[in-house]
Amino acid sequence: MTRLSRGCAAAGRAAARLLPAERREWAEALWAEAHQVPPGLPRLAWRAGGLRLIAREATMARRLASALLFAGAAALAARAAWPGPPASATTTAARVDVIIIVLLLAVLPLLVHRLRGSATGSRLARFLRTGSYAAILALTAAKASVERFAGYPAPAHRPQPPASWLVRPAGTRAPGGGFAGWVLAAQEGLFRPTGGHVPSGAAPGPPPAVHYWTGEILFVLVIACYVAVILAVTARRSSVAPATLAIGTGAGAGLGVVMYAVAPLGLAKHATNPWLPGSAADPLVVLAWVALLGGPLAAGLLAARHHRRLHGPMSPGAGWIRQSTVAGLLTTLVGALLVTSAGTGTIALMPRASWLMHWLYPGQHLAAAAHGHELAASGAAAGYLVLLLAFPVIGLGAGAWGGISAAEVPGGPGPGGGPPGPGPSPDPPDGGRSAEAGGDADRLLLGVLDFEEDRTRDLVGANGH
Amino acid sequence: MAVPSRPGFSAQTLAVLAALCPEPSRWRHGYALAKQTGLKSGTLYPILIRLADRGLVEARWQDEPQPGRPRRHLYRLTADGLASATAALSSVAGPARRAEAQSRSGRRVAAPGAP
Repeated sequence: MTRLSRGCAAAGRAAARLLPAERREWAEALWAEAHQVPPGLPRLAWRAGGLRLIAREATMARRLASALLFAGAAALAARAAWPGPPASATTTAARVDVIIIVLLLAVLPLLVHRLRGSATGSRLARFLRTGSYAAILALTAAKASVERFAGYPAPAHRPQPPASWLVRPAGTRAPGGGFAGWVLAAQEGLFRPTGGHVPSGAAPGPPPAVHYWTGEILFVLVIACYVAVILAVTARRSSVAPATLAIGTGAGAGLGVVMYAVAPLGLAKHATNPWLPGSAADPLVVLAWVALLGGPLAAGLLAARHHRRLHGPMSPGAGWIRQSTVAGLLTTLVGALLVTSAGTGTIALMPRASWLMHWLYPGQHLAAAAHGHELAASGAAAGYLVLLLAFPVIGLGAGAWGGISAAEVPGGPGPGGGPPGPGPSPDPPDGGRSAEAGGDADRLLLGVLDFEEDRTRDLVGANGH
Repeated sequence: MAVPSRPGFSAQTLAVLAALCPEPSRWRHGYALAKQTGLKSGTLYPILIRLADRGLVEARWQDEPQPGRPRRHLYRLTADGLASATAALSSVAGPARRAEAQSRSGRRVAAPGAP
């Protein structure tokens, strides 16, 4: 018993280091008091209470729950990515991918924690981190499934699809060509570098190993960059304002939804889908272009204007450009992650979910046609890696442009044309929450402010009894 | 019978306040409070932390530790804490006394008809 009690004491002293400095003395107080408690079970129970206190104060419960949730999601992704012929490059790549990505997701937070501090306690930051992790794990599993389908012949019980389904110029597959055509043209796959164009009458075969692995390495690197950026902008020592985070995430979600509507859902245009008949998809494609180019720009403008309202027009270090650039980048990162995971997931589900096939291609229930659609969509999935690569570049440029443009607007955040704005004002003690509402940007930011108030209420509630 | 609690204070917090209230100027140890209230350390200390955060309890370390033992942490109510504790305890005691009185009278009324 004494040994157990001593072990408990040692564990408690070590665990107390997890606490923030202002709480550590309370754990030490509890530990010191244990010497007054009669030895044996009562003292052990007292120290066990100390461990409970530490667990509660260090929010270990939340951390533990997050770790368990991550482990569960990673196990599900691995389970989805693992099956396949053991000797094939597709199977090996899927397995290697899932292992490396799970390791990245587990290790990168530790590195970012050392450099930029732990995650902020805000709900939005937690949502962004959790959502991006979920999207990346879903994408990894879906990508493995799509590659498995695209890289190997149809099951023996299915007739081979007619060549006309498989050999089709990219532009004619896409609704209205243009944007979606570009997406689908990217099927000269980095996921599957030999491409989605399948020789007439022949089943697609595995690609050359060198090309294959180049694509896989690129995919892993891109995902690592996404994770690193999202962890960095949601870290405690990040200079990204909560409003910038909210603007970027909101705009990114909108961008992702529009892009998803274009592809893979828009793929059904040529199949006379009743909800996207013929040229009805064209406005959607236009909207996608507008969202892609205008979304990060608008997000950058908004973030710059909000930063100016809080810190004055001459904030040091051109902080408003940093905010606008991050807002633009975040818009495209979130949009790309959303459309890539949801799009690849939809394509991966097509061979398994007949309802999805009927929804996308109503009335075409023949096995050969279905297989052709699945194969074409699987080939098109490669285009999503292009989105993952290109979107952040667009977001960075458009966001920075938005920040610079905001300086040119009369009363904008920096020196430029137009009359000077109001002089610098000291930071309000409440972070600007009570700033007078006015201007379009502020009206759009009302949601952000509500969020901040929610967070404050949570913090107050946590201190209640 | 459930003890009605004042909004903002749980029953356990009220127990801690009740233990500190009679001698508000006296410094108390955690173990003594735990014995008096019957609370476990894992419950008592988070309550003390919250009360200290709200400025209702002040804490300090013992000046001269007992030989061979670590210094102990001491607690007592602040002036605000005493006011809050008095108000909270009286608001609980009133309804509780009334409820108990009603219960007793109800029993008395019910007694003749009882088998």
